[in-house]
Amino acid sequence: MTPVRVVGVVAVLGAAVLVGLALAGRHLAGAPTLVVVSTVAACLAVAALAVQPWLTRRRVGVHVRVGGIVAVLVALHVVALLVEDPDDALYSMSPDGPTRARMALIATLLLAVVTALGLLRRRLRWSPATWRFVHGSLAALVVVLGVGHALLIQGALDGWGTPVLVALGGLGAVGAVVRLVRVLRAPPPGDATPPDGGRVPSGGRTRG
Amino acid sequence: MPATRTRPHPVAVGAVLLLVAMIAAALWNSDESGTGARNVGATASPATAPGPAPGPAPGAAPAPGATCAPTVTNPGGRNNYRPRAPLDVPLGRGLVITGVVRDTLCRPLPGVPVQVWLQTALGSERENRTTVFTGPDGRYRVHSDPAVAQFGEPNVHVAHDAEGPWRAVFQRHVLDAEDTLAVVDLVLVPTS
Repeated sequence: MTPVRVVGVVAVLGAAVLVGLALAGRHLAGAPTLVVVSTVAACLAVAALAVQPWLTRRRVGVHVRVGGIVAVLVALHVVALLVEDPDDALYSMSPDGPTRARMALIATLLLAVVTALGLLRRRLRWSPATWRFVHGSLAALVVVLGVGHALLIQGALDGWGTPVLVALGGLGAVGAVVRLVRVLRAPPPGDATPPDGGRVPSGGRTRG
Repeated sequence: MPATRTRPHPVAVGAVLLLVAMIAAALWNSDESGTGARNVGATASPATAPGPAPGPAPGAAPAPGATCAPTVTNPGGRNNYRPRAPLDVPLGRGLVITGVVRDTLCRPLPGVPVQVWLQTALGSERENRTTVFTGPDGRYRVHSDPAVAQFGEPNVHVAHDAEGPWRAVFQRHVLDAEDTLAVVDLVLVPTS
């Protein structure tokens, strides 16, 4: 089994454990449907974020699709909370919100930027190294801040959820750092990365 | 930017590093539980409860010339506030929310309505509320089920919201799920 497949299996198992813990725990017992939907979406988003950096080298097509899924899951997480409890949701997103909410707000904004960078890659006409560095470092911040937000939240993922979140966050952060190190280490003279204009091969298998 | 660069452009690297520093500063300067919120919970008796008491002990006469700083509505204090809460309705058992209501001369204020609302296992913040009146010593007391996490942390709202001689004030503070006591004192200022 390739390392990417191992990471994928770990992420799927992590998602299953997080969702199972959340749904089986007391915190969501009797909770409004929107709160349950928001929590499940967040659990799945954390697991998807963990696997994302590992898909950038040879499975860019999958990486793009999973990125879209993460954006949708995070949007669902936020909108469900906004609809269910606008007072607390808006307060959390305000400058007066607690640290965990500020982490979530920054992570959400950065995720929007990362997604936009992915969509605008061709138009930006940045060098591949520059684009990968900016996209990858902002994505690493999304992972760290998003998982940090989840760790500071009391409720559905207390107890066994904490080590699972740490493991998934670590998986994503290590993957992002590995990719960033590769980007920052310039190739030897004569082996410069050719400008690709940001094209993503349609086959989904390419050198990242 | 040139399209053949083999390293990230220095401007991009600098911008990302600056962004990281700004994010770190924003998190460092944030309040763990939100601006103005403090942990008012305890598992002990009211006499040993944490939190600054704004005046003398209940029942004790304030020292001559003593003043108490007025309580200011803190951010989030009005979250899920609803007027006209049911009067003196028990919200369960296991947690006592109490405090003393005073004026700015530290004198206890009897007969002042205080609304309390919080999320418990049996009800959300929007439906789990009651209004009680302070006793002769200015103290109010509400019995409730233990608070459960609401948006990531158990919290309790205490407000003087009724029209009358005292200006309305709304408070949001946090506690721990296992706490059996929450103490929120209020210092009110006249409406005129």
